[in-house]
Amino acid sequence: MSDSPVTTHDPNADDTPAEASPQEQKKMEQAYAQMKRKMSMEEIGKKIKHKIMVLSGKGGVGKSTVSTGLALSLAQQGLSVGILDIDITGPNVPKMMGLDGQRLHVESGRIHPAKGHLGVKVISMAFLLDSEDTPVVWRGPIKLGAIQQFIGDVEWGNLDYLIIDFPPGTSDEPLTVAQSLPDIDGMVIVTTPQEVALLDSRKSITFSESLKLPVLGVVENMSGYTISGKAPPGSEIEIAAPAGKTLKATANDAGEFSVTLDIFKKGGGKSTAEEFGVPFLGALPFDPGFVRGGDDGVHRIVSEPEGPSAVAFAAIVAALQEQIVDDPGAGLEII
Amino acid sequence: MPTMSRFERRETDVLLTYADGSEFSVTYDDLRHSCPCAKCSPLRNEDEASKNLRRQVEALPKEKPKVRIVGNYALGFEWTQGCSSGIFRFERIWDLANRRDPDNGKPYVHGAW
Repeated sequence: MSDSPVTTHDPNADDTPAEASPQEQKKMEQAYAQMKRKMSMEEIGKKIKHKIMVLSGKGGVGKSTVSTGLALSLAQQGLSVGILDIDITGPNVPKMMGLDGQRLHVESGRIHPAKGHLGVKVISMAFLLDSEDTPVVWRGPIKLGAIQQFIGDVEWGNLDYLIIDFPPGTSDEPLTVAQSLPDIDGMVIVTTPQEVALLDSRKSITFSESLKLPVLGVVENMSGYTISGKAPPGSEIEIAAPAGKTLKATANDAGEFSVTLDIFKKGGGKSTAEEFGVPFLGALPFDPGFVRGGDDGVHRIVSEPEGPSAVAFAAIVAALQEQIVDDPGAGLEII
Repeated sequence: MPTMSRFERRETDVLLTYADGSEFSVTYDDLRHSCPCAKCSPLRNEDEASKNLRRQVEALPKEKPKVRIVGNYALGFEWTQGCSSGIFRFERIWDLANRRDPDNGKPYVHGAW
């Protein structure tokens, strides 16, 4: 063999590559699927104008309520909206969206989301479970794969907003989404006013710094419970409130009165937002209608589109939209 | 607070121009010493730790940072060395420009760790 860098081709030689072993073939198929999914994620990123992550440090603060509320409130504006329920082990968005027991439609290897109230598209692990009592017991890597599939293999179509609902905490799920889905606008942190929830919310805020994603704002849920009633006009009513306080109200000329009980204290969300220098989007009242609506599958915004909770959500959405900019930094020259 | 219209990175400081025409300079050392992240902020609670942070910042090479816009409310700075985590609200930068304490004299308390 000469030292020439030029190679010659013998047309009579057998060039057929050796057949791949089943393991090699499987690896190649997996690599191909992974590559296809990655390309699909980038494509999805372009088709969805705005992507918003909804997080909380603590469980039970009403993240799914806020996620569904934001989605429905945006849909009320006539926008096309989707919700991605990333809470793999405790998915409850479908129930709140009236999609209990639904199954997803799969066509040509693409998953088609279910359509809930006001046409909001929904993808959730709940659609894949045999029954709602079936627990999902998965280790991290399997969860990660499922999340990537939920992002890359779903046929969302063109959306104005995708709301992504996470399980509580700052673990695998938000990290995976933040690293897989391009151009996320930022995150909304949900909290309740009490100190324990606030401590955990602060974790979520500092978590956003690690992910290099902006905090679009803090929402304080279960902020106050308003009691209304009737009494003789002009009469004074005293109500025993939490922490041994007494609240007083005077019935108006029509004999109506109302007082707001701050069941879990008040204003903590706002002060946390101020402390961290992130926007405060607003407070949502404690509304037992959410519990009933969640159980019955008729969201409060759907059953009472003009009610106090729908109004509060509309205000929060307006504040959120102010934080989302189509052209960040327009008008600011950086040299 | 007027809207920031220009952010000019110079050798050791940044020249800020606001929509009302006002101009301010903020040194990179001041900017880095006032980093609002959860790691740097507690270091400003005590005088000695704050001075120590200042010394560390001043020992870093003088460099122009990469600037990223965060939402429509803040800027983030990326340096080749030292902390790049902080998200600087425009209000915070305005305080620095006007030589005011951006922490408003309040000690930082966090529940993050």
